[in-house]
Amino acid sequence: MNPKKISSKVYKLVKSAAAAAMIPIIFIYIMIAKPDYRIMNMMAHVVVPVGTAVGDAITWPVRLVGRTIDAIGDISNLRAENEELRARLDDALRNQDTCAVAILENQKMARELDVIKTNPRRVIPARVRHENRAMGNNTFLINRGARDGVEPGMIVTSFDGRLVGIVADSGIGYARVRALTHNSTNIAVRVAGSEVYGFLSGNGSRRPTMGFFSDPEFQATAGIKLITSNISGVLPDGIVVGEMVDDTDVDVLSPMRLNDVMVLQFDTAAGEYK
Amino acid sequence: MKERVVNFLRVSFPFLLTLVLWRLSNAFWNPGGILCLIPIFFCTFVRPMPGFGLFGVFMCFLLDYKFDSLLYWTAVYCFCYALNGFQSVIDLSRRDKNGIDAFSVFLAINIFILFVMRAGWHNLVCALWMLVLAIALYLPVTVMIERTTHD
Repeated sequence: MNPKKISSKVYKLVKSAAAAAMIPIIFIYIMIAKPDYRIMNMMAHVVVPVGTAVGDAITWPVRLVGRTIDAIGDISNLRAENEELRARLDDALRNQDTCAVAILENQKMARELDVIKTNPRRVIPARVRHENRAMGNNTFLINRGARDGVEPGMIVTSFDGRLVGIVADSGIGYARVRALTHNSTNIAVRVAGSEVYGFLSGNGSRRPTMGFFSDPEFQATAGIKLITSNISGVLPDGIVVGEMVDDTDVDVLSPMRLNDVMVLQFDTAAGEYK
Repeated sequence: MKERVVNFLRVSFPFLLTLVLWRLSNAFWNPGGILCLIPIFFCTFVRPMPGFGLFGVFMCFLLDYKFDSLLYWTAVYCFCYALNGFQSVIDLSRRDKNGIDAFSVFLAINIFILFVMRAGWHNLVCALWMLVLAIALYLPVTVMIERTTHD
């Protein structure tokens, strides 16, 4: 009998037993650590930056080529984009006076009705590092983390103030944001200019769906604007979420279309929005 | 010196390739970095390499982070590792075409489970696309690993 062969067989069995022992540990952990999975996230805060740093070091030529191709694409679209922007600017200028009057009227009404608008205490600008979209899970990483004051539950918007997602996890130098299109996104929104509420649910596709309107007679149509509502104190009131494209689908801002975002920190009587 | 560098690159190639495939995730061409499962499967079950077992756990953990799937891929990897180690009926290292049939079954079952957890038309298309993509790229990637790691 070959002792070397026996020892290698025993070694293989020991390794397999160790792997088998991991399975109940993982299952028990998943059951008991819900919902914040602190240990797993702590491990991820070490493992993910290491993996990303090594991956970045190896893949920089590929990413450089990708960025160059993107830049060429952007440059070739500049003329068309410029024309579109001019048209939009003309439209905006035409509406400028009306908007200025509406803002003043709005402020007057807010004073008279004693409405207190929640403003963010702190704004943290961040850059979108990369998007992870797979099987309905749509998250993306930003380059600001716990070191910069980013915490889970904070709100991420674009620079024009549209809601993009909510911080799901924050490592030291990065944070993972759950986009509105993520499968488990389910937020209460309000139809702008009315008191009709509803739920926006991510389904993995580019367009989340709306449902469960508070007014059963309300007919959703294309062009309706949706904003966040302050139901349960989950999100502050009045952040633009998106626009309905038909009776169910909502056009929201995809992280794929963004380079920079803002992380907002709010103060409320009960503490920060979480 | 040159030989040592070449040898180091040869040994580290599957590890680096796995990291590259994870890092270069793309919503369409490599959703969540799923393609990194090809070298993980090949170097763990078909042509086992020293140290790849632990590295596989590490990579599956990273894959889970991108997939936002808790510890699903890590648990599946541990399960398959244990299953493969305890049995001697099926020898994956002797399968034809680098064990593409075993990989296809492994991936199809797991993607189906992930799909069932989040059933929907969009996810069905995504699941089918991921399956086709990974199976189509299995042979080229594994042949590349074989050619690089062997003299």
